[in-house]
Amino acid sequence: MKKVGFFVGCNTAFNRPDNEAAVRYALPKLGVEIDNLDGQTCCPAFGTMPSIDDAAWAASSAWNLIIAEERGVDIVTTCGSCYGSLSESYHNLHAKPALKEKVNEQLAKIGKQYKGTSQVRLLVNYLHNEIGLDAIKQASVINLNGLKIAVQPGCHTIWPSKAYFEGESDAFHPARLRALVEALGGIAPSYSRLTDCCGMGAMRSASPERSMLLFKKKLETINTELAPDLIVTGCNSCLMQFDMSQDQLQKKGEIENVIPAMHIMQLLAICLGADPKQITAMSVQNMDEILNKICGVKI
Amino acid sequence: MAIILSEMDKAFISEIKERGGFDIHACVQCGKCAATCPLSLAGFPFYIKKLIHAIECGMREEIMEDSSMWACQSCNRCVEVCPQDVKPYEVLLALRRAAVRELSVPGNTIEGLRNLYKTGHAVYPKGYQARRKAVGLSEEPPSTLSFPEMLEQFQEFLRNSELNEVGLFPMKKEEKK
Repeated sequence: MKKVGFFVGCNTAFNRPDNEAAVRYALPKLGVEIDNLDGQTCCPAFGTMPSIDDAAWAASSAWNLIIAEERGVDIVTTCGSCYGSLSESYHNLHAKPALKEKVNEQLAKIGKQYKGTSQVRLLVNYLHNEIGLDAIKQASVINLNGLKIAVQPGCHTIWPSKAYFEGESDAFHPARLRALVEALGGIAPSYSRLTDCCGMGAMRSASPERSMLLFKKKLETINTELAPDLIVTGCNSCLMQFDMSQDQLQKKGEIENVIPAMHIMQLLAICLGADPKQITAMSVQNMDEILNKICGVKI
Repeated sequence: MAIILSEMDKAFISEIKERGGFDIHACVQCGKCAATCPLSLAGFPFYIKKLIHAIECGMREEIMEDSSMWACQSCNRCVEVCPQDVKPYEVLLALRRAAVRELSVPGNTIEGLRNLYKTGHAVYPKGYQARRKAVGLSEEPPSTLSFPEMLEQFQEFLRNSELNEVGLFPMKKEEKK
């Protein structure tokens, strides 16, 4: 049986635990055992240790990487930021021997040592490369029957490609999330702003209005070019943005219709037979209609 | 007109290089990053190309007084497209690191760091226990929140790190009751 360390991070654990529940349902169904990486911390987020010091950033990530090393597992994440921060640290620790030495000096003070034996993997990539599209198709009990889906991979899930050992083959035309959605029976056409930033993250804290500008532009393109039934994200933060901000825009009268949004792990869990209500329980949006459509029955 | 840099301007550029922006001088202001930077698309005055230019021109005060650097999404598009391998995002991080040492830091950044020290999580919203319980999960995630002895060890590491040197908030070891 395959085994991975589930890095749950902050936003998934606290704001979208329904997405955490989706991971905990879906992975075992696909024959993957989950290690909890007991004692894990923040990745750390880009606005924290990375904005203080190079070595302190790498050492904070190494805290988590070491936990995975001790368990003998690779790390998987639902969140683009966790994937980005941990992967950049992994990359820097391997590319810069002086940094690794400095980090290990810091870690030695608490009796720890970074070796570099565990990889960091985004769940989108793990599903695509490790589980495989055929196995996912075979394990599914629900087929999406041509449901039209706009995908939102998320910035950190693709760039900087040099930091990702199993990144997309074309970093400006990410294909894996589309392939996963199509393996579940959906159709996922490309659109012109597919790789645009959703506006979540530091910008949303610094200036909600400007963040909303980016988001609205992306949303308009999705509506005009695709008018999809559903938006599926590869990143938990993008999920939060598409869930919360459409609701806010609608309440302000700035948009008419709202497109339901899910993370790929939620959609996967539902297709593998999870309770759809529980797996989307933290949505601000009303999910009833799309869940009925997906499950083919009123739920 | 030639730009004449003062010794202070030169020291600032050296600081940016030391704090991670090693390759700033390779920038030729081609603008590829500007075309793709979310900061420029959202209308922030100092998007990454202009930040680099401003650092090179010695506009320290103007940059420090503006919030653009803290609105950067860390998306790394600039790193991906840069034909000169400047790694522009690393210049921006270096700039933030310099700002932090002048205690020119937004409140939410300090709050995130304080949360990280207290709990192990930078994002630590209220009411999460009920949300977790509602979907059948344990009230606390399997992080340092569930393992107090590991949280103490993590805090000891942070006290020994640059975070404590910077002095944004007190990081004293809690007395055992």
